[in-house]
Amino acid sequence: MEAEDLPEAKAALSLLRSRLCNTSFYFKPPSDSSDSNYSKLKFIISSSVAEACNNSILLLGPRGSGKMAVLELVLQDLLLEYPDMITVIRLSGLLHCDDNGAFKEIARQLCSEYQLLFSKMASFDDNSQFMIAMLRECGLAHKTIVFVLDEFDLFAQGKQRLLYSLLDAMQSVSSQAVVIGISCRLDADQLLEKRVRSRFSHRKLLFLPPCKEDVERLLEHILTLPIDSDLPHDYTIKFNAKLHNMLADERFKKIINTYLDSDSTVKQLVRYLFCAISKMNLKSGMLTLENFEHALSNIQRQPKQECIKDCSILELYILVCMKRLEVKEQNSYNFNSVMKEYKSIHDSFQTSDYYSRSVCLRAFEHLLQRELICFTDNRGHNQSIEFRPVKLLISSPELHLGLKAYRSCPVILQKLMN
Amino acid sequence: MSKEESSKSNRRTTRSSAAAVLRDSGETKKTYHPHIPTLNDLVFGEDTISKEDLLSSFPGRHAQILELLNLLGPLNSPMLPLFVYGGTSSGKTSVILQTFRHLNRPFVYSSCRTCYNLRTLFESILNQLLLHQKDAGSGYLSAKRCEKPSDFVNFLREALVKVVNTLQGNPGKLSTKKLTGQGHGHMIYLIFDNLELVRNWDKSSSILPFLFNLHEVLNMNEVGFLFISNTSPDTYYSNMGYLEPIPVYFFEYTEDDLRQILSRNQTNQEMYSSFLSIVLGPFCRITRQVNELSIAFSSLYKTYREASGDLNNVPNESSKRARFSHFQPHIAPALNQIFKISSQRSELNNLKEPKRKGGSKKLGGFDSSEDLDFHMSTSAKYLLLSAFLASRNPATLDASLFDSTGGASSRKRKKRPSEKAIEQKEISEQELLMKGPGTFPLERLLAIFQCITSVAETSLEDVQGDVVMESQNEDSELMSDVLLQLSSLCNANFVVKGGSCPLEGSTRYRSTVSEDMASKVARSIKFPLSKYMYRR
Repeated sequence: MEAEDLPEAKAALSLLRSRLCNTSFYFKPPSDSSDSNYSKLKFIISSSVAEACNNSILLLGPRGSGKMAVLELVLQDLLLEYPDMITVIRLSGLLHCDDNGAFKEIARQLCSEYQLLFSKMASFDDNSQFMIAMLRECGLAHKTIVFVLDEFDLFAQGKQRLLYSLLDAMQSVSSQAVVIGISCRLDADQLLEKRVRSRFSHRKLLFLPPCKEDVERLLEHILTLPIDSDLPHDYTIKFNAKLHNMLADERFKKIINTYLDSDSTVKQLVRYLFCAISKMNLKSGMLTLENFEHALSNIQRQPKQECIKDCSILELYILVCMKRLEVKEQNSYNFNSVMKEYKSIHDSFQTSDYYSRSVCLRAFEHLLQRELICFTDNRGHNQSIEFRPVKLLISSPELHLGLKAYRSCPVILQKLMN
Repeated sequence: MSKEESSKSNRRTTRSSAAAVLRDSGETKKTYHPHIPTLNDLVFGEDTISKEDLLSSFPGRHAQILELLNLLGPLNSPMLPLFVYGGTSSGKTSVILQTFRHLNRPFVYSSCRTCYNLRTLFESILNQLLLHQKDAGSGYLSAKRCEKPSDFVNFLREALVKVVNTLQGNPGKLSTKKLTGQGHGHMIYLIFDNLELVRNWDKSSSILPFLFNLHEVLNMNEVGFLFISNTSPDTYYSNMGYLEPIPVYFFEYTEDDLRQILSRNQTNQEMYSSFLSIVLGPFCRITRQVNELSIAFSSLYKTYREASGDLNNVPNESSKRARFSHFQPHIAPALNQIFKISSQRSELNNLKEPKRKGGSKKLGGFDSSEDLDFHMSTSAKYLLLSAFLASRNPATLDASLFDSTGGASSRKRKKRPSEKAIEQKEISEQELLMKGPGTFPLERLLAIFQCITSVAETSLEDVQGDVVMESQNEDSELMSDVLLQLSSLCNANFVVKGGSCPLEGSTRYRSTVSEDMASKVARSIKFPLSKYMYRR
């Protein structure tokens, strides 16, 4: 503890962290550009609110591309713009994918919105009739109900009764509702039954990962400290100057590109930035290139290689034996055949690592636990472990690489691999 | 206040002991005195520890602790979900719990091992958040009855909002006696331990994405999520998908780390370090898991001390060498029974034993010792042997093996190898290795049992005809007893009840006993087992 942590560095770190955890901060469009998804979505919803018509949209895009965040931003704005005219019902396919539960949840949210008494005992029929009645009433009062269906593809499992009754109710003139489906499956509309699909307007908004310029803009937007805050002025200036230097650095760009090559959506970028920022040195209070380098190696892990590194020598022997059995095209093998191979290796090479069967069995179980190997079938639970057929969960190049990287790997093992 | 203080620490000792034995607890135990739970209960409870203490109590884990502290961040700063993973007994749970003790922030810990299904998991989290205790007053019921994820999300949001509001309401009030005056804050952390077990639950394909997405479903910045698992993130991939949490990896301890860990709390440091210098190298080639090594070493160290004669002699070079030569012969056998745990020892020190699942594993430990170290009645031994024979011998040969003269098979055995082609033999051996012991119906077991008991009696007593009749009568009287014995053998995992035969519909059994074990049992009752074994 030579130098104390700087208080302003702590404050800056907190600010950056809260920015990274706040989706609406980094998904907020920079200006009112007319072709952003934000403005398109806003136009569609606001026009159906204003013109009192029904509508349905699908927001599609990979996970973490900000579908929900943009929708939330739009809804926030619209709730301010049209007070008392919009009711938002939020459902998630993870939670409400059974029709019964979904109708119950809709009824519950409607009841709490309009201060009605919600009955837990209401049947499926009651709830669906209640929903249709509410849709009609709201339509008559010129109020729009917005249904947000997160994980839309999960609602398309089963009989799709929820989707059908929602979209069917919207066919009548009196109702006034918008159904917004959010899914990371680009073929989400193909999952719908014919009767549902024909009632669905095929509006789709595609959310794409950011392009290079967007990423640069985003990085600057997130990482620059605001001048007009209670952080010390000269610290902010210094921090921002250093940051701009770094952002312009070719090495930094290379690091970011390496990361984006594997994970390209905004949220994944944010996850990486979070990792990097949490490494900020609080004594100097500056972000450095090393922070980002370390974060890259921390976040892009190679679990299988790590697993091999964790293995003991005996466990490596067993893996190599299994690999040899696979090369021999033995179509199915178990612990006993592995032991036979192990013994034959010992007989021909006189290795120093020859242990008793029970010890090997325990090592074998360790491998099972690490999930480097697994049973080929789930049957035969009453069969003891020695006899259940197993298979390797790593490919032989991976194993080869792992053995090379292992600190004190016996030479014989590498030789046996070939 | 003092009373509340004491009862509070009482309740929390369960969590600290959870940290001590690394896992498997964490569920709150009930105390007998009435105790009004407060939000204080959500922090670790005992006095906080400084960062230096935290680092020094986990040798070999500095990098991970610092990384965790970095990711958890300063007070009141939100965080993204973390995924902490690493092998068994690499200190994941205790490091995290002690880190929270150091930070003194409120957290909710639930292990998916003690909360064995979705409902208990949900209710355990809600109980802790709502400060609800299961006791006689509440009829040992949970605060909320909650089975579906959708209900859980509603309840959880409600409870979290309440807790966070209270935490924001009295900042710092609770941390009067703390060292630095920091701690608490308005963040609350949910810790899910043993997440890998969730994969075996029903409907796990929807539960896991749900748990990983809970962060986004709740969308509350005041809640942090930590997942602890002993398998790597790639074993969780499903076709649902989710945004991956930030991985934090606990690698297996290196040899140097192990030396530091194992020599902690040793009275004679010098002696132990010289002991470790001999032993650790060879053992590390087999396993690097602390729990297994510490068990193996505790008995080995005793023999080492005995081998070195007087306990406190000054270790110089020559005595070291002498000691080593004394001790050397003990190492190799110990290596081969590294996982043997004798019953007395496990009673003596309640070290955490490695979990044992099947019976077959248990039997592995007996290989080295000459005689049986457990008691079994004679008839149970006969039953065990007959089960073993029924599993190993083909049913078609029963008649010839167990004909009235007993053991006429010697003639056949001589003939067989010459008859069979070597290839065929290999194939059948391979088959035996793959298929394992065969299954048999109850009738066959009882028939073999009757045969071998009657043979044993005739051969022992050397009596003819009528006695055989008598013994058969005895057997029929013993029949109900035999069934009882069989069920206890099943319970002890010597015999496994298999699935029922699709044609006959009767239950089939399978013996899991190894050949060494069976011959040992046979020796103890002087039964000529090899005579009845069919050799391919």
